[in-house]
Amino acid sequence: MADATLLRNPAASATPRAMNPARRMLPLGLIGVALVVVGPWIFDSYVLNILIKAFFFAVTAITVDVLWGYTGYLTFGQSAFFGMGAYAAGLVFTHYGFSSGGVALALGLAVVVAMAVAALVGWLSFYRGASPFFATVISLVLPIVISQLLLSGGQWTGSSSGLTGYETFDFSLEVWYWIAGALVIAVAALAWVMLRSDAGRVLASIRDNESRCSYLGINVPLVKIGLLIATAAVAGIAGFGYGAFSGVVAPELTGFVLGTELIIWVALGGRGTLWGPLIGAILINVATAYLSSRMPFAWQLILGTAFVLVIVLLPKGLVPLLLKPFGLGAQTRTAAELVERPVRPAAQAVDTPALVMKDVTKRYGSLKVLQGIDLTAHAGQLVGLIGPNGAGKTTLMRCMSDGADRTSGTVHLCGNDIRRRPAEDCVRFGLGRKFQNANIFESLTVAECLRMASTIIERPSLFRKKRTLALPPYALDVLRATALDAKLDAVARDLSHGEQQALELAMVLALEPRIVLLDEPTAGLTKTERTQIGGVLSALAHRYGLCCLLVEHDLDFVEEIATRIVVLHQGTIVMQGSFQEVVNSDLVKTIYAGSAHTPQEAA
Amino acid sequence: MVLLLDLLTTASMLFVVTAGLMMIFGVMKIVNFAHGALLTMGGYAAFVVTQLQLSPWLSWPLAFATGVVVGAAVEYFIVRPLYKRPLDAILATWGLGIVIGQLIVMAFGREVKFADTPLQGTWAILGVDYSAYRLLLIPVAFGLCALLSGLLNGTRFGVKTRAVIMNEELASGLGIHSGRIRFITFSLGAGLGTLAGTLITPLSSVDPGMGLPWLVSAFMLVMVSGHSMLSLMLTCLVFGTCQVLVSTYASPVLGGMTLALLAALTLRIRPEGFARG
Repeated sequence: MADATLLRNPAASATPRAMNPARRMLPLGLIGVALVVVGPWIFDSYVLNILIKAFFFAVTAITVDVLWGYTGYLTFGQSAFFGMGAYAAGLVFTHYGFSSGGVALALGLAVVVAMAVAALVGWLSFYRGASPFFATVISLVLPIVISQLLLSGGQWTGSSSGLTGYETFDFSLEVWYWIAGALVIAVAALAWVMLRSDAGRVLASIRDNESRCSYLGINVPLVKIGLLIATAAVAGIAGFGYGAFSGVVAPELTGFVLGTELIIWVALGGRGTLWGPLIGAILINVATAYLSSRMPFAWQLILGTAFVLVIVLLPKGLVPLLLKPFGLGAQTRTAAELVERPVRPAAQAVDTPALVMKDVTKRYGSLKVLQGIDLTAHAGQLVGLIGPNGAGKTTLMRCMSDGADRTSGTVHLCGNDIRRRPAEDCVRFGLGRKFQNANIFESLTVAECLRMASTIIERPSLFRKKRTLALPPYALDVLRATALDAKLDAVARDLSHGEQQALELAMVLALEPRIVLLDEPTAGLTKTERTQIGGVLSALAHRYGLCCLLVEHDLDFVEEIATRIVVLHQGTIVMQGSFQEVVNSDLVKTIYAGSAHTPQEAA
Repeated sequence: MVLLLDLLTTASMLFVVTAGLMMIFGVMKIVNFAHGALLTMGGYAAFVVTQLQLSPWLSWPLAFATGVVVGAAVEYFIVRPLYKRPLDAILATWGLGIVIGQLIVMAFGREVKFADTPLQGTWAILGVDYSAYRLLLIPVAFGLCALLSGLLNGTRFGVKTRAVIMNEELASGLGIHSGRIRFITFSLGAGLGTLAGTLITPLSSVDPGMGLPWLVSAFMLVMVSGHSMLSLMLTCLVFGTCQVLVSTYASPVLGGMTLALLAALTLRIRPEGFARG
């Protein structure tokens, strides 16, 4: 989403089909465009001046909204990228002079420097296991560091007074107004199209549930870094525009006070919507210009108080509240049409075992949770993993689905050594993991959840929303068996416990995994649901030739479907065999009953 | 020698400023961005005491009391509804910081004020004359560290607090009033914040923005140090040392950034911080 994309006519990338569901938003959009077109005739030069600056700020506010409202990354740092763009204009025009070459250089620098710094900040902020707090803190450090650097730049950066009086574009106020307005419209339209596209839903799913995203094979840190780089470029362009228009740049433009102001505009306007921050940024900027001279202290006080109140009482912001009576702002969901897609053929030879674990151990300090685990499982097998609580069953599952988890030993998935690779790579090797508690995207619809699960198989479009939802046959079976196919537009949060479990299973299956890990798939299900799941699982192994591994306490259920039982006790595999062999063994009776002398039913 | 004293006093200042935030972040995992405003309030408490021509020592209890009262109100009205939304708590406390800052501006004006120092002059120590007040901060910081460690590790309140940190649901189930623990901790942390503001005023001027530069440093230190007062002390020593060394030998501007940058890098390499160093 560099400048090349920005300059592209956004209307061309929005297909007519994508416009349909949002027809209700159209009047509002047209009013906005009309205001930008006729502005110079209705506003005086004072207002125009304010509006032009407000437009550049609004563009930056949109980038904050995309990062925070849509993706869940609270950032104070977008002002730094804005300031870099402004200083690129100021520095180049001051020291190099204003020429067409200078303009190209400054704009190029505004984008490239912002993107490079964003890449660095992204690397620092987003890594496996990074807490969202940490990323926010880094975003706070960035503007502070940049302002300090500018302050220490002496003559070259103008230090605390900044740069002023450099030659810049000789445009009239009207032309600037149209340029800034066009930029706002272009960025807003582009963001609107992209956020509604299938790829845009990935951001919402990251906000909802990062761990599920990585277990769907989505490289979350990479997506976030990419997004940060893209938004930094946009903020850099807005900053360049501001610097070129105002003819003054000061360190405050990079500071974190502006960074927090951006957040205030977005929060008051309404995070997670595009209109909110846009209107919020423009209105608050205009109001500030008028009121800060009339009642300088009270205005800041009112703004601060309003901000606190909105955060505590109205997390969604004010603009959605105002738009609601007009039926605007409500999310329109289009029904997706289910189609079957053929399963990809297995990449490797059929006789490669689906899972090979060799001498895997897991220690927490001196506590050995797993020891010397050797386990092999083939396609078409349904392995039941049983053992008392605390035997290490779930830990074993973690060790085969995330390379960073085990202490030593090797794990091969479909012939690929997982080394220390993250979960998303294991997923790409053919693993699908269903968690014990339904691990889904709560704010997404059933169809959207399922589409997220197909991300690694078909790359989602950045601009379009697909009408059809293609799933492998066994995922469709799950949906049909549980009647979820009739609820594709329901929001996942509103589903029943059993339906959420089924949805997660369908999502895992949509990955077209070769190995499916299931952690207590029947926990909390009704008898009917249990039978349904049992049927689905047997079909997976026997009809479609997947390798299934399930942890289960319900031995009746295991007896019905498992082809092999593995007994885990105190971190080691104590026995493997058929159900009858295991249930009749004294060893297992000892483990479950505590003593072999008082034989009890193991089940 | 002067350098060594610089190191120690800087670390002490950092600790004093950070301790209040530590109480709040360590226990409640709430990032109190109003901490900067609390520091500023402490500064103005000292200024008020000076205006009233009272003994400067009185500013300490006054600041602490003000902080506790304000903290109690803030906890009750703003922080309590946001326990489940920690990122929003950052924002709400930040907004609160703006509100407090503006109220101070309206009451006292924008210009820089000065407050009396409780302890003036210099002390000769190991052959150098050094600001007596700065030296005083060293025992204050260590005393505070001991006091807070004692409070958290040696008292009934401390045990309950740690129970709430570890597992709030279980603690409530055992009959610990977790809401009250949070309330007390927040008020105490806020009181420590304003007290710190008063303590640092003799070394800086009093103005509406005085708390802000400290906020980020304090925040980074808390992030790095985990949740024990001793490790916080250690972190303050290490990072304070780096800051002073860079300021002395490179440039003060770079010195100002050292702490934030180092902390960010430390956390990138060792996300759990120094806690189990």
